[in-house]
Amino acid sequence: MIKGNLVQETKKKKDWQPKILAILCNWCSYAGADLAGVSRIQYPPNIRVLRVPCSGRVDPMFIMKSLQNGFDGVLVSGCHPGDCHYLSGNFNARRKFAVLKPLLEYVGIEAERVQFSWVSAGEGERFAEVVTKITNDVYKVGPAKRLVKGVVSW
Amino acid sequence: MIKIEKSNFVTFIRSLSAEYNLFAPTGEGRQSAFREVKDIKQINSQIQITHNSPKTVFLPQTEILFEFKGDDIQSVQKATKPMFFWGVRSCDARGLNLLDKVMGQSKQRPDDPAFQDPYWKARFDDAIILTLACNEPASTCFCNWTGGNPFSKEAGDLWAVETETAYLIEPISEKGKDFIKKLSGYHTASEKDEQKIKALKKQAESCLQPAVDTKTLKEKLPKIWDDPLWDEVSAKCVNCSACAFICPTCYCFDIQDEGKKGKGKRIRTWDCCMFPIFTKEASGHNPRSLARERVRQRVMHKFNYFWETYGESLCTGCGRCIRVCPVNLDIRDVAKQLLETASAA
Amino acid sequence: MVKALREEVKRLFEEKKVDLVIGWGKGSIPMTATPIFIRKAEDAEHLIWDETCSNNLAVYLTKDKRQLVKTNQKIGIVVKGCDGRSLVLYAVENQIKRENLVIIGVPCSGVIDKKKVLKQTAGKEVISARFEENRMTVEGRGFKTEIEKSEVLSHSCRNCNHPNAPVYDIFIGEPVKTESVGDVYPEVEAFEKLDSEARWKDMVESYSKCIRCYACRNVCPSCYCTECFVDQNDPQWIGKSPEITDTLIFHLGRNLHVAGRCVECGACERACPADIDLLKLNRKISKEILERFNFTAGLDINEKPAMASFCENEKQDFIMG
Repeated sequence: MIKGNLVQETKKKKDWQPKILAILCNWCSYAGADLAGVSRIQYPPNIRVLRVPCSGRVDPMFIMKSLQNGFDGVLVSGCHPGDCHYLSGNFNARRKFAVLKPLLEYVGIEAERVQFSWVSAGEGERFAEVVTKITNDVYKVGPAKRLVKGVVSW
Repeated sequence: MIKIEKSNFVTFIRSLSAEYNLFAPTGEGRQSAFREVKDIKQINSQIQITHNSPKTVFLPQTEILFEFKGDDIQSVQKATKPMFFWGVRSCDARGLNLLDKVMGQSKQRPDDPAFQDPYWKARFDDAIILTLACNEPASTCFCNWTGGNPFSKEAGDLWAVETETAYLIEPISEKGKDFIKKLSGYHTASEKDEQKIKALKKQAESCLQPAVDTKTLKEKLPKIWDDPLWDEVSAKCVNCSACAFICPTCYCFDIQDEGKKGKGKRIRTWDCCMFPIFTKEASGHNPRSLARERVRQRVMHKFNYFWETYGESLCTGCGRCIRVCPVNLDIRDVAKQLLETASAA
Repeated sequence: MVKALREEVKRLFEEKKVDLVIGWGKGSIPMTATPIFIRKAEDAEHLIWDETCSNNLAVYLTKDKRQLVKTNQKIGIVVKGCDGRSLVLYAVENQIKRENLVIIGVPCSGVIDKKKVLKQTAGKEVISARFEENRMTVEGRGFKTEIEKSEVLSHSCRNCNHPNAPVYDIFIGEPVKTESVGDVYPEVEAFEKLDSEARWKDMVESYSKCIRCYACRNVCPSCYCTECFVDQNDPQWIGKSPEITDTLIFHLGRNLHVAGRCVECGACERACPADIDLLKLNRKISKEILERFNFTAGLDINEKPAMASFCENEKQDFIMG
């Protein structure tokens, strides 16, 4: 299985590892991630989770600022359309992402870095798949260099 | 007064590079500015006045004051060679002197270096400014309204005029005199050259609109502080700050720290009194929350406050704000309106 | 045409239908019009209408000028197509009371961008300019040139499909007829075809010129937040200096905030003191919103804005499969 291979690979390679921000909606995706954990499903350890009440809470500024501060990739995950705990939050989020993703690509940010998914509370396996996919994709495009703000170094 | 033939100009420029970092007008249109040049070809001698003033070099839009790591502070180093500025117009040279009054010299405590901006002084004190007379002022130039003149020798270290075949240069300040002494191998200007300068000056002055004396605004402006005229004047202003950023004498700045995990830098950037939050206080109160108050403040600063504090007009009549304003708020029209209203009051 | 405009405005004052009319007057420098605020019939003589009337006057109904709207004054406003769309946007977003506005539409065939004219005169100052059907004649010290208007039209006017105000109370002259080709975005499509690195380099090069003066934000009629996100400082979103990533995030953020609300009037690009091609990003977003949601800002007073509404079954190809 794909995810098994990646787990092997991440253990072998001692070089750069992607750092990915995973913004998960509390009611579905975060619960799905929790289920993956409780079920001991293995997936790449590269994500840092940020829990939000709803995917509709996600401001495009969060995504751009994370890229600026050094995250190599950002995953935003919410409830499936029609299942939002707040009824329509994910519909609004969907429109925001529909505009944000092509805009970032247009500017030159690699398409693989910012990805969106719907993962429900019962989809532990699905969550692991999603994280594996984005980690693989970001690993392929390499460390983020373009929108990263240089901090002083001497 | 020495004469440098245009055919010899390359040699003159090259001779400067040993001792100075040469800055001259470069670029075109709205990218024209004073930048360091290594080659004479980079100099754009067709520009009447650069879009960006020399202020961009002495008081840059953004500047790192120092960098810190934990308790360690590393200050920014001073340049090894002083700067030589070729082709500064008299309004800009005056502008730099005005900025120096605020940043470099301290009026209140002239002997206390704590009141002088070290970053400004590191750049300005050793710099040599060559004021190049304007043979063809633009239609937006109004230096004669603020006590200036296209052929003014008031500001700068050296003064130069461009004729068809040569540049005629004479010293203004002590620094300029020392500079000229070091030059050799150039002719002295002749009587004919002096006549040419007089003719060019007359022609240049004829390009300007008749002067309106803005000095009188100094006493008159406080009388019309509450006049409803300010509503009219400020009605179309959108508070964008283009005028202040492009102005050779605006000097307001903001200081911010940026960094993380104990490492960072302290940055100074331009700020503008036209921004709505410029005077916002920690309590949330904003004494200049209305556009009319901010426009009034800017006009007063140029034509009244600076007179009271430093005895000069802060506006040099360069006309950049008129060219760049997106709603065509013309400071000349404003000055005229104010004088009319103030005289009637 | 101008005469008809001045007569209409005079009539509005005489019939006491307006307290204030906002229009364009002759500017103090060549090729420039300036916004004027008329409060009595005689002043209608100052109104002009030509290719230099580029300001989007709708901006004076919001932001700091909000007091004009709150005091229930009856305001007349002269608008081109794009400006008229801003007014529709304001009506949709409850920023104005439609019954307090008298919208005066004028037929627009494009406005010029002064910067483009200066490129044609090799930077030499223009002292006077005259307009004809498809041409303009400019004169300066020692030169006189004829320029094709199509060469110096503002970026926003090149592919404009909405030259007439969509909603108006009075229209001066005849509305401009358009060939209904729909909204087109050729320069956006051309840019999309470049590879990722080329696009990034172009963006960095363009936006390195930005001096963060916020003129683009201030002249934009869609940007009317009382506190802009760049002014928030607890916490602070982006730094104040023109560091390239901060600058890019400012522009991306601002464009996302006007997504589905930008009427592509071009005021931002014309106001920019650093000559940046600002519309390239706005128009990309407008194109996406048109293709995905079949929505164009500021046309229908009864249509909800694209980013404030949704369809349950909508294309979601960008969601991980």
